[in-house]
Amino acid sequence: MSELIKLEIYRFNPETDEKPYMQSFEVPLEKPGMKLLDALNYIKWNIDGTLSYRRSCGEGVCGSDGFNINGVNGLGCITPLEGLKQPIQIRPLPSMVVTRDLIVDMTHFFDQYRQIKPWLQSKSPEPENERLQSPEDRAKLDGSYECILCGCCTTSCPSWWWNGDRFLGPAALLQANRWIQDSRDEATGERLDELEDAFKLYRCHQIMNCMETCPKELNPTKAISDIKRALTKRKV
Amino acid sequence: MAGQTSKPLPLSPHISIYRWRLTMLASIMHRASGVLLILGVPLALWLLLTMAHGHIGYFYGLTWMRSTYGMMILWLVSTALCYHTCNGIRFLLLDIGYTDSREMMKLSAKIVLAITVVFAVLLAVWL
Repeated sequence: MSELIKLEIYRFNPETDEKPYMQSFEVPLEKPGMKLLDALNYIKWNIDGTLSYRRSCGEGVCGSDGFNINGVNGLGCITPLEGLKQPIQIRPLPSMVVTRDLIVDMTHFFDQYRQIKPWLQSKSPEPENERLQSPEDRAKLDGSYECILCGCCTTSCPSWWWNGDRFLGPAALLQANRWIQDSRDEATGERLDELEDAFKLYRCHQIMNCMETCPKELNPTKAISDIKRALTKRKV
Repeated sequence: MAGQTSKPLPLSPHISIYRWRLTMLASIMHRASGVLLILGVPLALWLLLTMAHGHIGYFYGLTWMRSTYGMMILWLVSTALCYHTCNGIRFLLLDIGYTDSREMMKLSAKIVLAITVVFAVLLAVWL
């Protein structure tokens, strides 16, 4: 008999439940290195098929399975069960509209991503081949391009909890900085104009939950500082 | 559909369940100490006024300062001043890009909190 892991999971079915509740489960630790997503899959396939959550790649690349795990956001597929305090409390990403169980409505999050125009903008005529970039300029995108838009950072941010309608949040701002830093992009001025706003950018109060929680170990707080510095630099 | 006509969907919990991280504490203490310092300004002005009102007023101010309440409030405002100054410098260093790394962000929060604790203890002993 293998060791049993205790979990408490946030449940809500809009068709039958008045309000959300926490449900306890026990899952056998089948193999060393078992991840939290494996435990959720075990529950879904062996105990309760109605448990709902998003998942896809299972290796921290798709960004589907962001949850609040024991109070901190993270990806289920790369969080080892061992070392987590039991009962492991799993809730949906914070301050999001819950569609069902651990599934949240990401519409607003992706809307905010769209707002920063996450594509290369260029006015100069298209070159015959690809747009070239020096290795040094390419290196400036390190720490930004790895973002998988899982939403762990944005939903960990108290400023976003209180002002999420207007504050863009760490994920969108990290992506905004990715295009501001890109040497091939020619809309830097317009991008900075868009962000120079008391709410969109300056609601960040350097709480740094985004940096602490990022499952890819990126640093959105630094990205926000980079944008602030770029804004200051063009004034002097 | 039945689900769409019923009540609005719930918002997932946030502040009530999010685990406190050191950097989060550091930021929120910055706001709290700022508020304390603003409240301390009229107090400091009042103490200055007592000094400007001859030896009776001066004695009155001094008596208040040496009372238990007076010393507790002075200790609180001074500790807030120490914290707000140190963490303010931490934020300024971050703004100019000196402490940009993930490690430095966490370490600097620890240093600021440690300085404040030492200051608060020493001040309590001295007062």
